[in-house]
Amino acid sequence: MAGLSGILEWAFLVPLLMVISFVVVGLAGTRLKRLEYGGWIAVLFAGAALVVGVLVAAAEMLSPGQYVNVQYTWFQLPPAAGTFPNGFRLVAGTLVDPISALMLLVVTVVGFLVMLYSIEYMHHDRGLARYYAELSLFLAAMTGLVIANNLFEFFLFWELVGVCSYFLIGFYYEKPSAASAAKEAFLVTRVGDVMFLLGIFLYFYTYALAGPGNGWAASGFVFTNGNQPFLAGAMGGNSTLLTVAGIMILGGAAGKSAQFPLHVWLPDAMEGPTTVSALIHAATMVAAGVYLLAVTSLFLGFTATDQLLIVAIGGFTTFFAATMAVVHSDIKRVIAYSTISQLGYMVLAVGAGFAMVGLFHLFTHAFFKALLFLAAGSVIHAIGTQDLFKMGGLRKPMRITAAAFAIGGLALAGIPPFAGFWSKDDILGGVYSQLGTHPLYWPFFLLAFAAVFLTAYYIFRAWFLAFSGDGPRDPTLPHAHEGSWVMQVPLIGLSALAVGSGLLIFWPNFQSLLLNGAGAAGIPPVFGPTDLALSGISVTLGVAGILLAWRLWGNGRVYVLPESSWAQPVRRLLLNRYYFKVGYDWIGQRGVYSVARAADFVDQFVIDGTVHGFERMFAALSERLRRIQSGVVSDYAAYVVAGLIAVFVLLLLVAPYLVTLVGGA
Amino acid sequence: MLPLISLILATLVLGTVATFFAGARSRWVALATSVVFLLEVAVLFVNYSGWPGYNGALVPGFSESESYSWIHLSWLQINYTVGVDGISLVMILLTAILQIATVIYSWAEERRPAAYFGLVLLTCLGSFGVFVALDILLFFLFWEAVLVPMFFLIGFWGGPRRRYAALKFFVYTHVASIVMLVGLLALVFYSGASSFDFSSVYAAARSLAPVPQTFLFLALFFGFGVKFPMVPFHTWLPDAHVEAPTGGSVLLAGLLLKLGGYGLIRWAVEVLPNGFHVSQPILFFIAFLSIVWGSVLSLSQRDLKRLVAYSSINHMGIVLLAIALDSSLGLIAAVLLMFAHGIVSGLLFMTSGSVHHTFGSRDIPAIGGITPTTPALSTMIMVGSLASLGLPALISFPAEFTALLATWNGLGYWVFVPLGILVVTAAFYLWMMQRMLFGPPKGVPIGAHDVPWYEGVGMGILVAFTVLFGVLPGLLVNVIVSSPIKGWPGP
Amino acid sequence: MTDLPLVGFIGLSAALLAIGLFGILTRRNFILLLIAIEIAMNATILNFVYFAAYTGGTAGLTGQSIAVVLVGFAATEVAVGLAIVLALNRLKGTINVAQATELKL
Repeated sequence: MAGLSGILEWAFLVPLLMVISFVVVGLAGTRLKRLEYGGWIAVLFAGAALVVGVLVAAAEMLSPGQYVNVQYTWFQLPPAAGTFPNGFRLVAGTLVDPISALMLLVVTVVGFLVMLYSIEYMHHDRGLARYYAELSLFLAAMTGLVIANNLFEFFLFWELVGVCSYFLIGFYYEKPSAASAAKEAFLVTRVGDVMFLLGIFLYFYTYALAGPGNGWAASGFVFTNGNQPFLAGAMGGNSTLLTVAGIMILGGAAGKSAQFPLHVWLPDAMEGPTTVSALIHAATMVAAGVYLLAVTSLFLGFTATDQLLIVAIGGFTTFFAATMAVVHSDIKRVIAYSTISQLGYMVLAVGAGFAMVGLFHLFTHAFFKALLFLAAGSVIHAIGTQDLFKMGGLRKPMRITAAAFAIGGLALAGIPPFAGFWSKDDILGGVYSQLGTHPLYWPFFLLAFAAVFLTAYYIFRAWFLAFSGDGPRDPTLPHAHEGSWVMQVPLIGLSALAVGSGLLIFWPNFQSLLLNGAGAAGIPPVFGPTDLALSGISVTLGVAGILLAWRLWGNGRVYVLPESSWAQPVRRLLLNRYYFKVGYDWIGQRGVYSVARAADFVDQFVIDGTVHGFERMFAALSERLRRIQSGVVSDYAAYVVAGLIAVFVLLLLVAPYLVTLVGGA
Repeated sequence: MLPLISLILATLVLGTVATFFAGARSRWVALATSVVFLLEVAVLFVNYSGWPGYNGALVPGFSESESYSWIHLSWLQINYTVGVDGISLVMILLTAILQIATVIYSWAEERRPAAYFGLVLLTCLGSFGVFVALDILLFFLFWEAVLVPMFFLIGFWGGPRRRYAALKFFVYTHVASIVMLVGLLALVFYSGASSFDFSSVYAAARSLAPVPQTFLFLALFFGFGVKFPMVPFHTWLPDAHVEAPTGGSVLLAGLLLKLGGYGLIRWAVEVLPNGFHVSQPILFFIAFLSIVWGSVLSLSQRDLKRLVAYSSINHMGIVLLAIALDSSLGLIAAVLLMFAHGIVSGLLFMTSGSVHHTFGSRDIPAIGGITPTTPALSTMIMVGSLASLGLPALISFPAEFTALLATWNGLGYWVFVPLGILVVTAAFYLWMMQRMLFGPPKGVPIGAHDVPWYEGVGMGILVAFTVLFGVLPGLLVNVIVSSPIKGWPGP
Repeated sequence: MTDLPLVGFIGLSAALLAIGLFGILTRRNFILLLIAIEIAMNATILNFVYFAAYTGGTAGLTGQSIAVVLVGFAATEVAVGLAIVLALNRLKGTINVAQATELKL
């Protein structure tokens, strides 16, 4: 099968196909009513992209290796004095290596299934041409990002991913809440993007400063394995710069992957269609952040301080987000918080030095999270509400959906042999093995461990609320029914993946997708027999969580926290999401906007006021001066004579004095 | 060889004169002139001898240069000297694009169309002249020639406070011009240059002592800086933009502001390196001030045009910062940014003009949810806003990326100021889009329909270039780096 | 001809100029004003003639010719002035310059 590796050169076809789909659907979609306004065309293109993606992954599985191909020079500066004495080049090219093949597989699989599912789910909405065009561009940007071969190109697609999610979150733009959520998502991630940008500068700069980096600048800053050893050696003197660079990259990833404290946008992003949520949460937007961290750690490297910070952010976020998921009643929001929490695990893994394990979790998570969202979408499509407390007893009319959600939930809770177990326990085992690195690893490891229990609890709380019991708690809801094959195929397909994708790790060919020349250590599965105890504890915690959920919410029970309970303030705190959104809104409105209003006042009344002051001064002066123009000839003659005398005085008396003053001849 | 630049000048002069006298057919004459102009600029590009790969070598110096003796006295040598290098070529391309887009956009102008189109062409003629002039007097004549038509465009076709705005614009820029003229004349006579030509002034002035260079530089900087505009001499800009007709706004933001940047690069930074180095802190201070002030003020604006005008102050602040860095990367970034801002702000001013035509108001809080009514206009506003806030694959991004990279290389952590302001810039554009484009419809008159074809085409041209150069910025960078500045082309 | 008394002649023309200026500044009657202007002007002409003679030779010819031109000027000026006087008298019924303020803004 050596011939298959030829496909690697054609990996750029994936984003290209989706761009073509974007252009075709965007231009002609409104006229294609019979094709779901271009929806079927987008499905077709996504299918073609899926085929290419699978072929690329297969080729990488059979012969793992890196393939760099610079296709296009973005722009190039000739050698000139300055920071980049050998010139400077920015390129757009592809780098297909095992991890990008893995990501390509995830994105195209989930993208295709979501696209197919949309055909029925979105059928009754308006603006479908726009929807499918934007979805196509979204996939194009994400797949482009995955195979980008340098940080600049990476950032380019990164921003495109951001703007596509902006448009898709704001798809129902007539709703003020959707428009606001879209803006929030863009703005919060923008904070991260700005940090990412500085991170890029810092890497470019530090490499260019040290001798060998010059060649790197001239070649377009392409990711190569040589960079990391170089970093360890030559950059020793510049570790502060590199630490800051790593922090900046972490900031960018935190914005995109909704890590604390830039997590606020993701729950609000639920304003978009459920299909978009599935895509954002599983394969595209938030995955980009983790992928960035993984790529950076593999090719550029983090300093020890960076790693500690990444572990801290990731570990804290797992627990922090899980607590918020416990109390919310909106089915999509519960899943959204679980995404933040799970992304925390991936970030944690990268921070502990197990980038490949993090990516493995991203891989499995993509399937079971997409499954959960599409199952939730199936429920919402059937009964038209997202409020868990109005649902109930949906198990009977929606057997497939109930089973799918349960499978997704088991995978999320980390119950073997479902997919989540293998990847999550690998992360926990990996971090456990690194606990000796720094004492501060301990608390974050424990937080991540505690989050396992919460995760199992909140996802089964949602399942019991929606599916168990005798019937809906809100009798006005329409009669539930299962969707057609178009919606069922993605559910079944993803269910299979949610069960089986974790077991793939024992298939050597799949393992080679998680090989990477740079990070030879830490290839999953990392845990061995010694970690079996750890797995036992985490599985026990997961089962305990499920049991608690069953005890409180099972069989249609509704657990109401007593008003006098000590936990009420905690509940309020969690329902208000730790007041983060309130705080950010306050900074925006009271802080920045007030400053802007004050500045406007200064601009109008101080700066322009000064201008108008001059205007009035000259006007008053001229009002005085014009009086000397009496119209009487003799007066004018007198002025002439006075002027003459003044000239004489100046010439004969003042000028010589001035000359002696400055000591001239 | 064909005197290409003189030919273009002749085309523009003839076209302008013909437009003034063409009466009802003036728009056709103006369009024909613009098309010919664009074609000639294309020829200029193709012929450009500094093009990398052309004849296998980079030719330093000015291309297409022509020089004829004009006024020769024993103590005064004034020539008609013109020529282009990469920087002026990019600016000329901007002029041609904006001219044709403006003419098409204003197709339905009903009040004295002949005079309107004539003045539009005259503004472009003057700008073109500024970009090709390599003689101080010629430069100054063209510089002032831009001022007059813009004054009339604002003063006659403008909004309710047009007289105030036109006068303010004129007084501000004219005072600046006078200071600049003094500086330019001193440049010749104090340095003892043999003629008013760029080459001789360049040779003579570079060797001056730092102190006189500093004074000269500051005089020139003030003259160019008011055009930029630099805070605190910026308040003419929002007023002029708000009152100017759409075509006037487009040219004002797209071309007139660029004259300041171009002039600073051509006649001050390169000619007076020592004075420039001494003044660098002042430039940095003003640049940061403009960046922060423009962006923060945009956030508090209610009028769409004022918002875009203040964002122009912010963007031109970044241009000033990039120039002040005194690095090759910074200069490239400055020129790219000027080009990008010319296209994008032109687009945004066109959209705000269309908003005004369609909805009878530009008050952002008063209008809402216009997307279902005017999808095309909405799309244009989105493209313009996203381009302006630096979205990749649109033209501003490579420019801003380079500018910020250069800022990091030159100033280190000070880069946090423009970087942080990027968030504010995103905030005011996104907030504007949220209030105006999205949400339930509000303030939409009955029977409102999407933009007419000519406005759509005018904006479409700019959108096309926004995407084209956003995807292929190398086309511009290759031209810019072949300029005879900062030691390019390198060893 | 350098034996001409310098101070005397310059003093004479200075005195004439002073008298003329005094008249210009104090008189309100247009005709008296014209006469004063003539006196002041004659001081100038006298200076030209005197310095022409003082310099002598061909170089002095310049001064003499200017003096002749100035005499012509003075005549035209008086002619125009008197015409204005007549017009003013017809318009206002007076030849007091203080009342002719039409050119004021």
